[in-house]
Order: sequence, then C-alpha cells, then structure tokens
Amino acid sequence: MNLLIPLMVIVPILCALFLNLLHKKDRTIKTIAIVLALLLPALPILANYGLHYFGGYAPLIENPTLSNNLPSLITGTALNTFHPAITYSFQSAQKIFVFILGLVGLLAIFTSLYETRRPSGVYGYMMFMGIAALTAILLTDDIFNLYVFFEIAALATVGIVLVSNVKGNYETALKYMILGSIAAPLLLLGIALLLGVTGNVNITDIIYSLKNGLVNPQNPVLLMACGLIVFGWLYGSGLPPFHTIKSAIYSKALPSGAALIQAFSVFTFVALGIIILRIFSYLPFSQWVILGASLLAMILGITMAIVQTDIKRMIGFLAVGELGYIGIGLGLGTAFGITAGLFQAVNEAIITAFLFIGFGTVLYQTRVSDTRKLGGMMARNPLVALLVLLAGFAMAGVPPLNAFQSKLMLIQASINAGFPELGVIMILLSIVTFMTFMKAFHAVFLRPKPAELELKNEDMPKATIIALLVFLAVCIVFGLFPQVVTTYLQPLATSLTGGIV
Amino acid sequence: MVIDVQIASLFTAVALIIIGIFAAAFLDNLIKKVIGLAFIGDGVNLFLIAMGYKPGGIVYIYLPGMAAEWFSQNAAYPLPFAMVLTSIVIGASTMAVMLGIIIVLYKKRGSLSAKEILGE
Repeated sequence: MNLLIPLMVIVPILCALFLNLLHKKDRTIKTIAIVLALLLPALPILANYGLHYFGGYAPLIENPTLSNNLPSLITGTALNTFHPAITYSFQSAQKIFVFILGLVGLLAIFTSLYETRRPSGVYGYMMFMGIAALTAILLTDDIFNLYVFFEIAALATVGIVLVSNVKGNYETALKYMILGSIAAPLLLLGIALLLGVTGNVNITDIIYSLKNGLVNPQNPVLLMACGLIVFGWLYGSGLPPFHTIKSAIYSKALPSGAALIQAFSVFTFVALGIIILRIFSYLPFSQWVILGASLLAMILGITMAIVQTDIKRMIGFLAVGELGYIGIGLGLGTAFGITAGLFQAVNEAIITAFLFIGFGTVLYQTRVSDTRKLGGMMARNPLVALLVLLAGFAMAGVPPLNAFQSKLMLIQASINAGFPELGVIMILLSIVTFMTFMKAFHAVFLRPKPAELELKNEDMPKATIIALLVFLAVCIVFGLFPQVVTTYLQPLATSLTGGIV
Repeated sequence: MVIDVQIASLFTAVALIIIGIFAAAFLDNLIKKVIGLAFIGDGVNLFLIAMGYKPGGIVYIYLPGMAAEWFSQNAAYPLPFAMVLTSIVIGASTMAVMLGIIIVLYKKRGSLSAKEILGE
C-alpha cells in the first residue's frame, strides 16, 4: 500500500492547521508556508500508482484469510468484490492533475506571502484546506467522500474571499453560499438516490452493479440522480446558470486567491465530469447534456467577458468560457476528444492562474481594477507587461503555447466525431477571447497613464515575477511537448470511452 | 388507514425540500432564507434516514452467537446513517459561516433585507 496517496490530502490539511496556529507570527508563517507548499507538487511526483483503502479494509476478494472464515452468503455474492472502505485511486491522470493543482497552489501561496506586508495564517489555512479538498475530490472513488470535500472546497473558497478584504466580498460570499446551500444538498440527494438504487457509494461498485445486471440501468430513479449530480456539477464548476456568481467570486478575491479558486473550479469540473461519464455514459442524453452546458458556458462566458471593465471579472468570465472547451472534449465521448478536453483542463488551470497573478501586479501597484481608470503600466514594468501579454496569447491559443495544442486537438476531435460546427465555434470564440484580452491589455498597459492614477507600490515583489516566469515556462514546455501531458491522460480517456467502466 | 412510516418520511422529506427552496428563493429576510436552506439540508437528511429504515430491523452490530443469515436479513443498512451524521456536521458548519457573514453585514448595513444587501 502506497502511503503517499493519503498523504497528498493529509499533508495540506496538517499544513493548514499548523499555519492557523501560527496566526500573527508573520516571519514564521512566511518561511514555513513556503517549505510546506513545496510538498504540494512534490508528493504526486514521488507517489506510486495504486489504490489506498482507508483503514486497510480491502475488498474480500483481495483478503483470502478473512473471506475463508466468512459464510458463502457473503463471499459467494457480489459483496466479495465490493469496496468496504473509502478508496483513493491514484493513476496517471490523477498524477498530472494533482501535480498541476499543487504547482498552482505553490505559486499562489508564494505570491501571496510576498504581496502582503503581514502574511495571514488564516489566508494560508484557507488556501491549504482548499488544495487538500480538491486533491481528495480528484483521488476519491467514493461519491459521498467527494461530496464532503466538495463542501469543504466551497467553504475554503468562501474563506479565501472573506479574508481577501476586497470591497463587497461579504455580500458576494453570502450569495455564493446561499446558492451552494441549495445546490450541495441536491447533489447529496442525487448521491442518496444512487445509494438507494445500487446500495453503494463507491463509484466502481456502482458501475459494477449497473454493468452486471444487479441493478436495472433504465430505472427512472437513476435519471433523477443523474440530473441532480449534473446540477451539483454546474454549481461546483461555475457553469451557467452559476457563471455570474462564480466570476463575481473571482473578482472579490486577491489575485493569488482567485488563481487558486479558478483551479478549484477547473478540477471540480473535471472530477465530477469524469464521474458523470463513468456512471451515466450509457444514458443517450448524457453526452448532449455535457455538450449543451459546455457550449452555453463558452458562449456566455466569453461574450460576457467582452463588456467587463473590471480586470478580475473579465478574467473570471474568460475562465468560465474556457471551461466550456474542456466540456466539449468530454462530451464528444471519443478517446481523442476526452484526452484533448483533459489536456485543456491542465492548460486552463495554469493559464488562468498566470493571468490572475499577472494582472494582479497592476492591482498591487495601483489598487485599481477598473480598466477605465488604468493606463501606462507598460512604462512602469515592461517585463510584467510582456509576461501578461504572453499569458493572454496562451489563453487565446496562440502557438507555440500550451492552449494552442489542446485547442487544436479539440478542433480535430470535434471534426473526427462528426461535429465540425463545434470546431468552427471554438475557433470563433478563441478569436473573441484574443480580442477581449487585447482590449484589456491596451487599456491597462499601452494607453497613456491617466493623470489621476496614483501608484501605491513602486516595486514589484521578485516572488511574483518568479511565479510568472514559472507559469510561462510551463506554458512553453507543454506547448512544445504536449505528449509530456497527454501520455498521462490517454489511459483514463481510453477507459472512459468503453461505456460503463 | 395506517401510512407506511418510510413512505410518510419520504413525503415529509420532499415537502421540507420544497418549502426550503421556496423560502430561500422568495423570502426577503436573510435569517428566514437561512432557515429555509436548513430545511433543504434537513429534508435530504430525512430522505437518507428513510432509505435506511427497515421495519422491525435491528441495530447493525454483529454480536457473538448471532446467525449470519438472520443478521443479514434483519439488520438495518448502516451506510445512510453514517452519511447523515457527516451531512449534519457539514450543514452546521455551513450555516455557522452564513450566519457569521449575516452578522457582519447587519452591523455594516443595519438591515437584514436581501434586496438591500444582495441587490436581489
């Protein structure tokens, strides 16, 4: 049994608790948080692939000593293969997802520690707790365990917004929580219905029951469960109708917090999307639901980004639109399409964090996020301007950066799957993304500086520049060598195309 | 006519969820909204408990001397109850955060109206 698998969740939880204890001890927090954050991307690299059964309770089939002493009433049925414990599954796709989440987390924590004069232990607590929750969501094979960490991630998101001290943060956090308090119980109701029909909350066991005729897959209760889980998926990832509140949440957090929250949204989208595909792909409409929601997210997110005057809100809407690309890949249902969608997820988590932290430098220097009041920032910091420009190019899919590769794969996959219209829409929306970004870039960096604009901080922290350079390096490496990522994602994509897996 | 306990519980759960959604969507007072949200969570918890209910069932603890077949036929299914316990803890913490935010907003704005505070 590989102990590093549970440690990927336990370590950030312990880090969070430890940082909270050190509240008000600024220097100690800074040093310890960086050291602990380095573990986040390191653990998935060091861990071996495999399963972890909490409490050591493996399925009976793997434990002959125990099963020999039990009556055939138990060992002679499907119970022999069922998972009695919460199971974490760490495979190649999880390795890349948890690594990217850890990397974004490390750079967000690193940036936040140097951009604030008094690093907050509570802020660090929220960031680490959110990372722990998302790691668990990515690893768990137990749908109720996923729900628990889904709620913890939502609370950590609200915590990050509350600690950020941005005007209007309490109002936005409350709205988000009210919507979450409707969506999350409905997700739990969907899980309860699944439990009622299959008698299980372990996803592999649920699929086993459906595949082996233990449960009638056409049971209408399963349709309702699917609908409720899809509703939770829409809320957790910020797809329409939750796109407005999700982008508002991004805009009320500090740039480092927003960078991390968007990574939470991306990986929640991926984790729940994969579960919907695994359990419900036999339902003919499931593909259309994913495609429809994703298309709507792309169109609404990107078109709403055009009219935004607040930088963070604009990036928030662009992030929602980019989620749509991931969903298109998943919804196409082909191995190549799913690989492209998952690759796009990895790229989006990096690029959106890159943009939030990049534009965050302007907020750090001016304390202004309204593009109508900004200008002339290129002269102040040409290196940052160049890095932000490259981040925008990456999001729009300009070669040789990473999203170019994933978007090209998505367009090819949509043509191969018989949906060339989707390819055309994706190209058009990439052009709109590019225009939206360039409009904001011009307003912030190229236009002459307005007379009334004052600089609150002259110098940029070196930590922020280092973080931006790391993001750029990752974008270039993944753009030039996409197989570095896609080889990790292909096994999962192939397994998902086999119907019920 | 005696109504089946399980069916009655399921109907009550659905009623709680519908009342909760109505309160959260249409009531203006933030505290009333939160109470409505608690109703939704309680309804889902009741739904889970009702699913685990077994008429005449026994507690799911396997004691020495019990026949395995008899136990498997009479013990209630424990998983929904364990899930409800976790769900109650999550619901309590979510509600605590929401009420905390409402207290801060009330101190700032002097109102509990969702229209005034959230602009709905």
